[in-house]
Amino acid sequence: MRDRFADQARRVLDLAREEADRLGHRYLGPEHVVLGLLRDDTSAGAAVLRGHGLELEEARAELGRLAERGIVAGPRPSDAELLGTLGIDLDAVRQRTEQAFSPHAVQQATREATRARRLGIARVPRTPLEGPPLLIGRMLHFAGERADVLGHATVGPELLLLGVLDDISRPWPRCMSNRWRRRLLAHLGLPTSYRGAARPLLEAFGVDLDQLRDALIARLQGIPR
Amino acid sequence: MVDSQRGSTMVDSMSETVQNEVTAVAAATGSKDPEVALAAVAALRGLVEVLEALNVEHARAEGWSWEAIATRLGVTKQAVHKKYAGRRFRLGRGSR
Repeated sequence: MRDRFADQARRVLDLAREEADRLGHRYLGPEHVVLGLLRDDTSAGAAVLRGHGLELEEARAELGRLAERGIVAGPRPSDAELLGTLGIDLDAVRQRTEQAFSPHAVQQATREATRARRLGIARVPRTPLEGPPLLIGRMLHFAGERADVLGHATVGPELLLLGVLDDISRPWPRCMSNRWRRRLLAHLGLPTSYRGAARPLLEAFGVDLDQLRDALIARLQGIPR
Repeated sequence: MVDSQRGSTMVDSMSETVQNEVTAVAAATGSKDPEVALAAVAALRGLVEVLEALNVEHARAEGWSWEAIATRLGVTKQAVHKKYAGRRFRLGRGSR
């Protein structure tokens, strides 16, 4: 599935992860993708966002304010820092484990230990050996759907933004609020009502979401396929 | 352009200060502050679960019995079996 993403879109996601780190957020949500888009100022997606009054610095500050209001998480220590307080060097553990077994085996064991549907035995919501949880699955899915509809072979930054907008506007199925997910959200310091904070972020700048979507689609239809 | 660049570095250093504060809080209070200590324990548990899974799978691939593994882990063989027998991933190609 990652093959579908253009290099530029991957860079946006990497930047989004950096932004999440910088804010001390231990997850990746659509709001961070918006920041990632703003940071990569060569893309048309960033241009559209800027045209609607969003700037990187203000958007960062706004996320800080949203954290104060409890809509997103406040800064939290990373796993490496937490384990550091116990005198454990996470990087050393990771390195040694991957040496003894293999990165692939560690990945498999990680997936197994954090799998939602195991028989209720010693499940952990997450482990320090994996990256931050990605709460952007829906958003990426919608971006891919839009790419199909518009006839684009790869998902670029503009389609990522379109995915964020679809994620905001489309209803959440009830199954997305399950015990497992609520536990994960609580673990990350997020309210259980968290559905991505891109909407409050964009609305704080007075962005008309429908207008933004139309502007993006117009751009996308002008982009060579 | 230059302005936005400068603004960005300013915010960068600002958030870095926030980050450093968090780190400092984590380091200074050590295992005293429940907020940090409990989160540290949770992280540790996540680490332990993966290490246990890896090593149990490895032992099985080496031909260890459930009972032998259980003895080393200090639990009953039924407990280890219940937890790991149904696992889908296999480390080695060894027969089970």
